Amino acid sequence: MELFTPDFGLIFWMFVAFAVLFLLLWKFAWPAIMKGVDSRAELIDQGVLYAREAKEQLDYAKQQAEEFEAQARSRQADILREADRMKSQIIEEARSEAAREAKKEMDAAKVAIEQARKEAQQTFRDQVSAAALEIAGQVLGKQLSDTATQAKLVDNLLDKIESAD
Amino acid sequence: MNQLKAFIILAVTALTLWAPAAASAAADGEAKGKFDPKEIIFDHLGDGYGWEVPFDHHHRIPLPVMVWAGDGSFHCFSSARIDHHALYTEGDYTWTIPSEGPNKGKVTQLLADGTEVRPAFDMSITKNVCALWISVLVVLAVCMPVARWHKKHGFKAPRGFIGAVEELLEFVYDGVIKPTLGQDSRRFAPYLLTVFIFIFVMNLMGLMVIFPGGANLTGNIAVTLVLSLITFFCTNLFARKHYWKEIFWPDVPVWLKCPIPIMQIIELFGVLTKPASLTVRLFANMMGGHMIVIVLTLIIFIIADFGAAAAGLGATVSILFSIFMLLLDVLVSFIQAFVFTMLSTTFIAMAQERGHDEHHAHASAK
Repeated sequence: MELFTPDFGLIFWMFVAFAVLFLLLWKFAWPAIMKGVDSRAELIDQGVLYAREAKEQLDYAKQQAEEFEAQARSRQADILREADRMKSQIIEEARSEAAREAKKEMDAAKVAIEQARKEAQQTFRDQVSAAALEIAGQVLGKQLSDTATQAKLVDNLLDKIESAD
Repeated sequence: MNQLKAFIILAVTALTLWAPAAASAAADGEAKGKFDPKEIIFDHLGDGYGWEVPFDHHHRIPLPVMVWAGDGSFHCFSSARIDHHALYTEGDYTWTIPSEGPNKGKVTQLLADGTEVRPAFDMSITKNVCALWISVLVVLAVCMPVARWHKKHGFKAPRGFIGAVEELLEFVYDGVIKPTLGQDSRRFAPYLLTVFIFIFVMNLMGLMVIFPGGANLTGNIAVTLVLSLITFFCTNLFARKHYWKEIFWPDVPVWLKCPIPIMQIIELFGVLTKPASLTVRLFANMMGGHMIVIVLTLIIFIIADFGAAAAGLGATVSILFSIFMLLLDVLVSFIQAFVFTMLSTTFIAMAQERGHDEHHAHASAK
């Protein structure tokens, strides 16, 4: 049958056609295509690798940032606590200082009052003794001529009165 | 989707209504001559000196006939001169295409005493040769833009048709050639890619029914024979030592190979059956596909004898089946091109295999 007997002319032309096609493609098409395809595959591989690395780095950076943030937060809390403590200390100090100052003022005032009282007492005593001597002199007349002895007598009497108080 | 469904239903209905008339008309036309399905099938599957003008049964596109006569003289003339078994006389030489006898369908020289002699060499640009060159041009037109793209844009991925072609090539290159051949892939990839795309284009061109296609190229044993012979030579001429050692001194018990070379005979037989299987696989698959489509079409004319209703039904069924078969053949076109390439790759890779010692030497040299 004709179908199963290869025709010489067609074999010849097939060979020539294939050779021509192969040479043309071999020279002009396949090197460029294979290079392109290979380099693209490589590029994609590298891209994936690069992306994976980048992601790792990003993850690391994120983690780092989170750590920093946590640290900062705890430091902030520390500082706030410290500030709080210092505030209350200052207030405490100020308060005690004020109390001390007030006590001092008070003491000074007390001393001054005591002084005044004593002075007033002395003045009053002098006046009373003078008045008493006057009165006694007029009552007794010449009986009590020695003035100094008289004053001493009155003073003693006044002391007695005071201790009786 | 609904539109598509409606269209299909409409088309089938129209077909059923129209087909009986067409079929009976065709049957009337055929009735004048003898209707011979076998003749038609082999006419369509075989080669020819002219190429049918689309939708015209009588006229053929003339192609050059180039023959060396038995005495060594060269003759070249248009196939139109000997079309329809006409006689063409050129000086002392008379040429024709006999309709009967052993040289049926071939350019034959009529000697003065009436005997028919085939020319010594028939290098005519037949329908198949013409289709071959058209396929070459198509392959170039398809592949060159991809190469140009890569030269211009480097690693960037092309889009559209160029991208589709590139994807196809990459599918074979990355999917078959590289994993099978490994470091030798750069050496053999040009041949294997050429084979793949060439067979694929020839297959698809064969599925087109009219002029630039329609030649049953890969369903012709000469074409597949050349391709598998090239694979055969690629395998054996570039083979490494290990390959020959496996053939002539394989690792089997000595009595299997020493006094009577049983293994050697089996191995050599294997070497020769590989190209034979490649040849027949591609040829038979493609020819079978073409034949089924033609037979399905011929069913219309065979059934037309039983009346219009049968013809209508037969036509509908046959056309639907033909469409299905043609679509299947598109798939087969790809699969067969792929299988041929894959087997070629495997055969070549087997011959490139390094023995253990050689492998170690190579690895350490690296």
